[in-house]
Amino acid sequence: MEFVTQSLVIGLTEQAPLILAAIGFALLYKLTGLINVAYSETITLGAYFGMWLNTTYGLDFYTVLIPTGLLAGVLSVVTYLAIFRPAKRRNVGALEMIILSFGLSIFLRHGLQFVFGYPVRFYDVPPPDTIMVLGVGVTSFRLLAVASVAVLSLLLWVFIQRSRYGLQIRALANDEDLAQVSGIRPLAVTTLIWFIAGVAGGLAGAFYGVGSNVSALLGWRQFLLILMVALVGGSWGLGGVILVGVGTAVALAAMALQFDQAMYAQLVLIVAFVVVLKVRGTRLTETAKV
Amino acid sequence: MNIDWIDAFLISGLFQVAMVIGLALLLHLQLGLARIANFGVVGFWGIGMYAFGVLYVKVDWPFGDPWQFLVCAAVATLVAGVAGLLVGWLISDLNTDGVLVGTLGFATAVQILATTEDDLTGGARGMGGLNFPFDIGRVKDNEFLWLVIMAAVVAAILLYVWRVHRSPYGRLLIAVGANEPLARSLGKSTFRAKLWLFAVGSAGMGLLGAMNGVMVHYLDVGNIGVGVTLAAMVGLVLGGTARVWGAVVGVILTVGLFDILIQSYLPLPREWYSQAIPVLREAAFGLTLMLVLLFRPLGLLGDMRRDKLMSKIHGR
Repeated sequence: MEFVTQSLVIGLTEQAPLILAAIGFALLYKLTGLINVAYSETITLGAYFGMWLNTTYGLDFYTVLIPTGLLAGVLSVVTYLAIFRPAKRRNVGALEMIILSFGLSIFLRHGLQFVFGYPVRFYDVPPPDTIMVLGVGVTSFRLLAVASVAVLSLLLWVFIQRSRYGLQIRALANDEDLAQVSGIRPLAVTTLIWFIAGVAGGLAGAFYGVGSNVSALLGWRQFLLILMVALVGGSWGLGGVILVGVGTAVALAAMALQFDQAMYAQLVLIVAFVVVLKVRGTRLTETAKV
Repeated sequence: MNIDWIDAFLISGLFQVAMVIGLALLLHLQLGLARIANFGVVGFWGIGMYAFGVLYVKVDWPFGDPWQFLVCAAVATLVAGVAGLLVGWLISDLNTDGVLVGTLGFATAVQILATTEDDLTGGARGMGGLNFPFDIGRVKDNEFLWLVIMAAVVAAILLYVWRVHRSPYGRLLIAVGANEPLARSLGKSTFRAKLWLFAVGSAGMGLLGAMNGVMVHYLDVGNIGVGVTLAAMVGLVLGGTARVWGAVVGVILTVGLFDILIQSYLPLPREWYSQAIPVLREAAFGLTLMLVLLFRPLGLLGDMRRDKLMSKIHGR
């Protein structure tokens, strides 16, 4: 029983940013049909933005979250308007779009080292309070990450399912031409999707960064897990992503507690996800195009 | 033979260029013909390199070089080929997104195993003890001969790819890339074609990895990062994914420019070489990939000759 509660608490608190990032990625994937490899750099830049605001202006971690999310959202929109939208207008194919986003990811990952420097950077924060949850000590930052995931997931669900803009987003994802003749402005709605996805990724990056350190590879190291959670869970909507994300987080923690090497947990998950995709095979639903 | 006209940096740079051309040529069959985006090139290359290294260093062979090298390289190539067969089977009926997960997942799995199995691979410390299968004198002489052998292997790969282009198998790969259900409906076994494509392509990548291990003498998990996949992909995309010579032209213009011209001949400050140049190289490769796909998606050499001919005939 102790093992189960430990796995649950450690998994959820340590991997809350994974769930948040997967929600943002899945939103972009489900609603625009694009596998955006450069999303990993939205996460990395979120971590860098937060660290920069924290160390340059002396803002505490809780305060930097809002501007960090906004900056990451704006960056996400800029990549859409400067790269992906022109590519779509030039009829770049779906496969080439993935390679294009791979190129953007590499460019940003290495380019930002000229801005923020090569060494690993750290947030300047006081040691966080430790709170006991089901017998497991958890830092206040990690609890905040869990709370943020819960609140943002709820807000996103309400926004997508209940609001007028959410309805427009879903209409656009289903049939762009029909949505357009119905008076929906694709540019405004698509920009909104990219902004929300960017905010989620940026906040995930900030939580990752404050939990360990900030480096250029931060987002890329998480990308495969995020991609797998979004692809497998995305078939059942936002709820599916959260469910698969939680399952992944708990499984990672449980295996890390069992194995000598924590990296084996990632290996087992990679195999498991690929097998799931293989079993599901061609039944993968075709998504809308950007 | 007098090789004073060539310096050690140039030998090393040319070796890199030749090796990446080999990888890009094999990637061309997957990406250019069958339109399967293999993001795990480094995984197949890395598994070949590590399989060779482990066999060469850890196994007490009853015979020495060159047989030791030949046996280890053959087994490493086989291991990479079998890995390719497995990955090919896993992704055979997945769409582009699933292929991305499968190939990227495989590359990550290889990196994880190379790090965690430190009894075999040396883990993060790395593994030394790899040598040339011959000794003809100075280190530079050995390296030069190894470069010539690598060039011969890459020429063989080029010949193979060129022949595939003109074979029924090549036309089947093009059909898989253009419209797989249609090819299947005409009775073609696209599944078998994909398996063969991945098995042979991965085996070739594994052999190139093993040969790279011999050249660098030391295996380091830091070398099996995404940079290898990027180098092959950016060269191929710049030259033209659909053309055989696209890989050659593109890699010379990208890896050749950075690893030979800039690294060896431009008078840059010494401190730039440790961090600035490698970072700049990757950023420039990423930017090149973006610009080519945005402004010239067919690459410098353009479409396949047969497509150009058809356009001419039909006036399109």
